[in-house]
Amino acid sequence: MTRMISLQNLTKRFGPQVAVDNLSFDIGSGQIVGFLGPNGAGKTTTLKMLTGMLAPTSGTATICGYDLCTNPIEVKRHVGFVPESGAVFESLTGLEYLEMIAALYGIPPNRARERIQQFLAFFDLGFATLTDKLLGAYSKGMRRKVVITAGLLHNPPVVFFDEPLDGLDANAAVGFKALIQTLAREGKTIVYSSHILDVVERMCDRVIIIDKGRLLLDGKPDELVATHKSGTLEKLFTQLTGGGELEQRAEDFAKTFRP
Amino acid sequence: MSETTPIPIPPLLPEGNAAAPEKVLRKLFLTLFLRGRSSRGLQKTGAPTSVGKKLRVVLILYGLFGLLALIFVHQSVFAMSVYLHGMSLMFLGMFVASSAGEVLFNKEEADILLHRPVTPKELLWAKIRVLVEVSLWIAGAFNLVGFFAGMFTPDGSWLFPLAHILSTTLQALFCTACVVLAYQLCLRWFGREKLEGLMTSAQVVVSIAAVLGGQIVPRVMFRMEGMVQFSVKSWWIGLLPPAWFAGLDDTVAGARSGSSAVLAAIGVAATALVLWAAFGKLAEDYEVGLQKLGETTSRPKTQRAGRRFLDRLVSLPPLSWWLRNPVERASFLLTAAYLVRDRDVKLRLYPGLAPMMVMPVIFLIQEHGRHDSGFGVAFAASYVGLVPMLAMSILQFSQQWQAADVFRMTPLPGPTPLCHGARRAVLLFLTFPLLVVFGLAAWLLHRDDPHILLLLLPGLVALPVYSLIPGLRGQGVPFSRPTEEAKSAGRGASMMLIMFISMALSGIALWAYLTGWFKWYLTGEVVVAAIAYVALRLSMANAPWPAME
Repeated sequence: MTRMISLQNLTKRFGPQVAVDNLSFDIGSGQIVGFLGPNGAGKTTTLKMLTGMLAPTSGTATICGYDLCTNPIEVKRHVGFVPESGAVFESLTGLEYLEMIAALYGIPPNRARERIQQFLAFFDLGFATLTDKLLGAYSKGMRRKVVITAGLLHNPPVVFFDEPLDGLDANAAVGFKALIQTLAREGKTIVYSSHILDVVERMCDRVIIIDKGRLLLDGKPDELVATHKSGTLEKLFTQLTGGGELEQRAEDFAKTFRP
Repeated sequence: MSETTPIPIPPLLPEGNAAAPEKVLRKLFLTLFLRGRSSRGLQKTGAPTSVGKKLRVVLILYGLFGLLALIFVHQSVFAMSVYLHGMSLMFLGMFVASSAGEVLFNKEEADILLHRPVTPKELLWAKIRVLVEVSLWIAGAFNLVGFFAGMFTPDGSWLFPLAHILSTTLQALFCTACVVLAYQLCLRWFGREKLEGLMTSAQVVVSIAAVLGGQIVPRVMFRMEGMVQFSVKSWWIGLLPPAWFAGLDDTVAGARSGSSAVLAAIGVAATALVLWAAFGKLAEDYEVGLQKLGETTSRPKTQRAGRRFLDRLVSLPPLSWWLRNPVERASFLLTAAYLVRDRDVKLRLYPGLAPMMVMPVIFLIQEHGRHDSGFGVAFAASYVGLVPMLAMSILQFSQQWQAADVFRMTPLPGPTPLCHGARRAVLLFLTFPLLVVFGLAAWLLHRDDPHILLLLLPGLVALPVYSLIPGLRGQGVPFSRPTEEAKSAGRGASMMLIMFISMALSGIALWAYLTGWFKWYLTGEVVVAAIAYVALRLSMANAPWPAME
């Protein structure tokens, strides 16, 4: 298996606050890796560093053999990123937006249009969907489909997904999960960050759990669950990061709603 | 796991005649400038497709204003050019300063563009090209008459339009580069941690400098009756950018004096230097600035302390009496927090207010020591009266406008209490301090005749009425409208109209003061203002929520 992502002591500080603390791991080609952690654990910051959006404070990382600090443009050419925010330029139509993104990767207009049509067919959408309205008027699910398309349009060998299912309807979500698994089988490296742990457990070959910027666990989901005798990945996750009394706390809090 | 460095990846997609990233980005930023960055209420078919369509009214106004250049047609090329470049510098400086913050450092943009294979330099250049392009449209509209009028000055020639196009282009580049350089220097000297706060300060300073620069030069021209020339005695002219570019016009199409050639050389060298520093030497700092916007940091303790101070303040008299309604109090606190913390709001509000406040200062200082003075005092108060109206208009816009939908989910029959809360925050935190400053300035400049301070009263009496206008017809809900609507030319035109009305009222007040009718004038104004105030409050009282479309 070829090493596609490699982190060595990657660290990010925001003033006195350490968001990512000496993170090191490798990911090979064809893997789907679940990247997990509670809110504020440093997942998004790590993804932003690995996609060249944020500069690390210290440490290094290579993507497809390209160093993040010395060759950021080549790194960006080889990664796709679907950010959690789902940010788009709302005053463009879907087609204008996707053609603009394609042009930034040097994809000629006719090839870009062809590729966009392929995505439309996958999402079962008509071409007019992309030309009728400005992105600001799209539903959340439609907007998410455009953001996913923009992340995969240039056929990158490494793809980072940050909560990609957010907003997708059930059918689109099923299709998207199948797509990810097929892409991985064909050699693409997928890093999948999500809070929906049962999806991660079913889809990923490996999970990496971080908290307070530090690596907590790294391994195959079934092996980790068996080793910690937790039954499910969700329970293992809450054991590691949430404390044991979450259900009791919920019951106690619910009592405050009584008249 | 084996390792190869770098890993050979086959071409992702066949490369062919794709557009260069610079072209793609320039087209993108121009489209975003024309349409705005969010699209509620913006129909695809109705979206402007050119700068001309977007700024039609503003360009016409600038064109009409440019007719004033005809006053200089009997003076030298240099005198006319100094006037044209002085005013152009003011307009361009205000436009670039008010647009640059949002264009250069947009938070949402990071998630869309920073992981794409484009360099910060390409991003920066594309944005600059759009700013310069729009600047040239504005400068072109204002200079339209001047381009030709220059040929008919006593020492003018047919080369004037060409020379003036060249010098105006250089000036637009100089102006844009100065603003970008100001940001880059702030980043370098004060660090990226302070970027957000510094952006507002930098923009305020640039706006004030542009207005001062633009106002001082024409006034000097009028005072010296056009006989202005760069020499050892009047060396200070060499410090004024409008004089540099006027020197270029004069060298190519005017008297071709040696001093003009020196000024032209200074202008060309200064433009080259600023361009090199802003886009070459310090371009790397731009990436740092963009990345900073993507960072999430915890709030410093001082700001949390600020909020606690505000909470305490509103719970004590007299504010607790003034803010008895809980919705008004909540809106007051929300507005106060945004006035201090929100980068987007601060970038629009303070640079928008600052240039307006320069005008009364210029009038106050200009009339100091003159026997017929008084207009500046009346004008200053009228201007302060405009502050709540302008501020309330600006505060309606926010990048987080969708969050204001929460107001509609609450059991409020209409937006009026929210408007009143925001209005009171503006009155307390913006209007009152300015009033004190102008009052003190007027008192210091007129200590020998303190009675003249009575001329502050007409503006003060009109102030409460002005402050209610943005809240009419259910409008004026703070932070509830997308930011691109803030650039509406119609809004600018209505502000100009109200400004002229204020000037007229100041003039009438001064006339009443000088002719002994002031007491009656003031009584009449108080009565009219009181009736208008009550009528406006009543019309606002039961205003329903405006349609969301």
